[in-house]
Amino acid sequence: MKPRTRTGKAVATALLLLFSAAFVAPFVWLVSTSLKPIEQTLSLPISFIPKAYYAVLDGRRMEVTLDFQVTQPGAVVRILAGDDAGKLGYVSRKELAARPGGFQVIHDVDAGSWHVSQRFDHGPSERAPDPLWDVLPRRQIGSQVRFRWRNYPRALAALGGDSSSGPNRATFWTFLGNSLTVAILGVIGTVISNAIVAYGFSRLKWKGRDAFFALTLATMMVPFPVLMVPLYGIFKAFHMIGTLMPLWLPTWFGSAFNIFLMRQFFRTIPEELSEAARIDGCSEWRIFWRIIVPLSTPVLVVAALFHFIFAWNDFLAPLLYLTRKDTYTLAIALQSYQSQNGGVQWHYLMAASAVTILPVIVLFLFAQKSFIRGIATTGSKG
Amino acid sequence: MTRHERKQLRSGLGFTSLWIVGLGAFTAYPVLASLYYSFCDYSILKSPVWCGAENYNQLIHDGLFWKSLANTLFYAGLSVPLGTIVALGLAVLLNCDMRGKSLYRLLFFMPSIVPIVASSMLWLWIFNGQYGLMNGFLDLLLRPFGLHGPAWLADPEWSKPALVIMSLWGTGNAVVIYLAGLQGVPMELYEAAEIDGASGWQRFVHVALPSIAPVVAFNAIMALISAMQIFAQAYIMSEGANGNGNASDGNPARSTLFYTIYLFSTAFQDLRMGYASAMAYILFVITAALTWIGTRLSRGHYEDAV
Amino acid sequence: MRHPTTILATLLLASAPLAAAGGPVHVVYWEKWNGFEQQAAQAVIDKFNASQDRIHVDYYDATGQIDRKVIVVTAGGDPPDIAGLHEQNVAPFADAEALEPLDGFIRGEGITNEEWLSRYYPVYAKICTHGGHVYAGISTPAVMALYWNKTLFREAGLDPDRPPRTLAEFNDYSRRLTKRDPKTGRLLQVGFLPQDPGWWPWIFCEWFGGRLFDGKHITFATDPKNVEAYAWIQSFTKFYTLDGVKQLSSEFGPWASPAAPFFTGKIAMVFQGSFYENYIRQYKPGLDYGMGPWPENVPGIRDFAMAEADVLTIPRGARHPREAWEFIKYMNTANPNARTRDELEGAELLDFLQVKGSPLRVWSPYFTNHNPHSHIAMVRQLSSGPHVVFVPQIGIWQEYYREIIASFDKVRLMDATPEEALDYSQNRLEASWVRYRRSLERHGQWAALGEKPPQ
Repeated sequence: MKPRTRTGKAVATALLLLFSAAFVAPFVWLVSTSLKPIEQTLSLPISFIPKAYYAVLDGRRMEVTLDFQVTQPGAVVRILAGDDAGKLGYVSRKELAARPGGFQVIHDVDAGSWHVSQRFDHGPSERAPDPLWDVLPRRQIGSQVRFRWRNYPRALAALGGDSSSGPNRATFWTFLGNSLTVAILGVIGTVISNAIVAYGFSRLKWKGRDAFFALTLATMMVPFPVLMVPLYGIFKAFHMIGTLMPLWLPTWFGSAFNIFLMRQFFRTIPEELSEAARIDGCSEWRIFWRIIVPLSTPVLVVAALFHFIFAWNDFLAPLLYLTRKDTYTLAIALQSYQSQNGGVQWHYLMAASAVTILPVIVLFLFAQKSFIRGIATTGSKG
Repeated sequence: MTRHERKQLRSGLGFTSLWIVGLGAFTAYPVLASLYYSFCDYSILKSPVWCGAENYNQLIHDGLFWKSLANTLFYAGLSVPLGTIVALGLAVLLNCDMRGKSLYRLLFFMPSIVPIVASSMLWLWIFNGQYGLMNGFLDLLLRPFGLHGPAWLADPEWSKPALVIMSLWGTGNAVVIYLAGLQGVPMELYEAAEIDGASGWQRFVHVALPSIAPVVAFNAIMALISAMQIFAQAYIMSEGANGNGNASDGNPARSTLFYTIYLFSTAFQDLRMGYASAMAYILFVITAALTWIGTRLSRGHYEDAV
Repeated sequence: MRHPTTILATLLLASAPLAAAGGPVHVVYWEKWNGFEQQAAQAVIDKFNASQDRIHVDYYDATGQIDRKVIVVTAGGDPPDIAGLHEQNVAPFADAEALEPLDGFIRGEGITNEEWLSRYYPVYAKICTHGGHVYAGISTPAVMALYWNKTLFREAGLDPDRPPRTLAEFNDYSRRLTKRDPKTGRLLQVGFLPQDPGWWPWIFCEWFGGRLFDGKHITFATDPKNVEAYAWIQSFTKFYTLDGVKQLSSEFGPWASPAAPFFTGKIAMVFQGSFYENYIRQYKPGLDYGMGPWPENVPGIRDFAMAEADVLTIPRGARHPREAWEFIKYMNTANPNARTRDELEGAELLDFLQVKGSPLRVWSPYFTNHNPHSHIAMVRQLSSGPHVVFVPQIGIWQEYYREIIASFDKVRLMDATPEEALDYSQNRLEASWVRYRRSLERHGQWAALGEKPPQ
């Protein structure tokens, strides 16, 4: 179907660009946030560009954070009376006028100036630790674009919290290892078990086969919550709660969707190939391994990819079965940025998210063709 | 049964034996056990005690059960049709033989492979009322009118629409499926329609749409079934947006208390496994009904597949 | 014997020395903290581990919904030896038979429960018990107090060193501390907003003199004081207008961030925990604030406060309950004569490192005089009074809490009148309470019901 007119084509192109922008913007946002210092993740107006700010303090040019803007004119003062005598502070003009002699004015401040402090995430501060009142007009603060790649290693280090030492050593690598264990053992189980079962459903004729297959299809509509409670009981009985086993073991016993997927494919392989082999005295097992499996690489790849992505992203089952941090998969470990004292370290979270997404995207890029073909066939042959 | 038939049966059962075990242990047993528990007073720490239809009786009178069902239907009823329209629209655009088609396809597809925790956190951030990208963009449009974007996930009226918008981002899967379906429509049909003087829109409505209608119907039904089980994104975002450690109640003001979230907190926080099982069974019935309607709608297509 | 597992535990104990022959018994301790609180806990654990060679406690970080995790693994039969729960978990977990009572261990020390509990301030002693049994020890306590921004007080012409003393004063201050943009009428600053932080709306009920549970019945809507408290909550939305509150609160950053409304001066007064000081230090160093008692609400009660605590419990089925108890005991004991930092032990060492007060009645000289908390005397004063309340001990608290939050949201968002919201929740909770008691009855848990088994 082609648009007949040039305007038609232009409209279609414009629409596509618009939608692509909407689909890509969150990714760009993710990457840009992951490269910002934390206070810029909470700053207005919204900017996609990570920056670094500089100012001259104590006669030295140093990187600073912009803390907040002073809304009314006033002065930085030393407080002379009361509980806080001796401390530095900021008071408005009105306040200054109301308590003459209460403050020693250090310097006046215009409305709109910024309170800044030295950024010392490269090491300890070079300045006194007391609350310092550095209030500067905007024009004295320089800025330049700067990507904080350092966020990435720090985010990964922070992912394990402070438990990266001690008996329950849990770091990014622990979570990555757990995710890979679950995904890879699951992929192997999925491919092997479903291929064997699908062979039984497609290349062999036996009494009750079609009825059994219909039953198999019917199980696809059982919602997971129905299985949740008893499954928990089963894994409990085998002492698997808190281990990775419940996440991959079931894949070794087939799944309705994959059986269906592979059966569809196996049926397209000409029956003559099997017949010829049977005449040569081959067993069914041998036919399966020597003839069917080699011819079915595309569908096996699709099933493997599907399962990998499912296992990599699964949330509910790990939430249910994994309780100790050192058994977490990446998908749920990401959540730990959120619960640390209620605050969210957005820059780290986004950096770690980017790292979690990356393997899936790379995998997808490599296997794009078979992937799209797989989705298209499963979707349309559903 | 002849010897040959017996041999065939043996090898058939042999090949499917893994699945027989799997079906029994991971589906059939749980389905039956769940049914039994739904008639019991059961907390996994103590043994189940039969209590008849009490759980079902209580469910009918449980306002939150109905609320969670209504929330879920609202979400499914909005996200599935909108998702279908967007996916279909994008597929049609891509089918216009555009340059860079595979790049676009990749872009649209990418969101659907992002881990749900990552995408939920990302959207939580996008929907932040003050610092989020969504309102940053909306404010450009709204400011001239003196308006401000809503607080999204922190506002009971906007939290579900926010989740719907997020779900649209993940429709890339369907785009790929519909595109494959559209590409399967024979060129001759279009050409014939063109000769008859049909406009682009008419060709879409009268040629393309009927050919892929079964695929669309089938996918929409599958999407509906999974929308009925919405859990992770709501769970994560409810916790993140409101932060009072009460994710299991669908904050704010229970506006995102979806069916599976209520079920999960009943089962694994209140330890009311029997009640949760009864809820699960009702969901099962609803799902089965939807599937039945779906298979009827896409009958030709389905039989073709089986 | 009440709990068959106690027998089992005793049998296991008999074999424990054999297992320990190769080295110390490793006690698995799950705790919810992973920041500086964990480092503090680790320091105390190190000291405990070094103090003897029989037991080695291993800290496992179980941040995020630790209660759900503990219930799941306890149900799964493989719980940790010590679970660091929240105080509101004690009653529900005990009723669910998920916790080991500590009574036997206390008896083993040669003392009664009362003697053991007398070490704590009354409120913390109550937090540790349910239905006549001791189920928990305290790890870190907290007490809620009024925090006010002195700079905003000065701007409003109020004495920064004199916080409101009565409810009427509090309401008056709150209005005087509210600022609007003179042109647009937009709220720029408010005196007080009940939903910040909004974690314990029920505390307002107690502050008004209401009760949530009288030991037998749910009294959420039937106690008129609770309705009064919710009407007070709603009065703030009425005064600020709903749109005003929505618009203002959309500008609030997360509570533990520099953009938190109290830190940015958008809210002048909050009720927060004694731990708030740590967050002020971290996110708003230099903030000029005060910490003081709750204004008098019920006439005559000037020492109202609400206490919270992280508790240490032994889940049912734990492998090393005896060793777990040893550690709990250590964490609930201090050296009353400590005169240097190095002499601090157990509870005091932990609370010193976490910048908190101690739940114990006796404070050592060093802990009292060198405590890093800048309002430590106020913390101690607030924790020790007879009118300190804490979360009601009721088995359906999870559900109760969800209802409290839901009705709180309804009321502050003007979706319902206080009466409507509380009646709705009352009906739900009454039904749940009946159902809950029926379930306990079915399982023969007469002790949890507070009744005698039928003959």
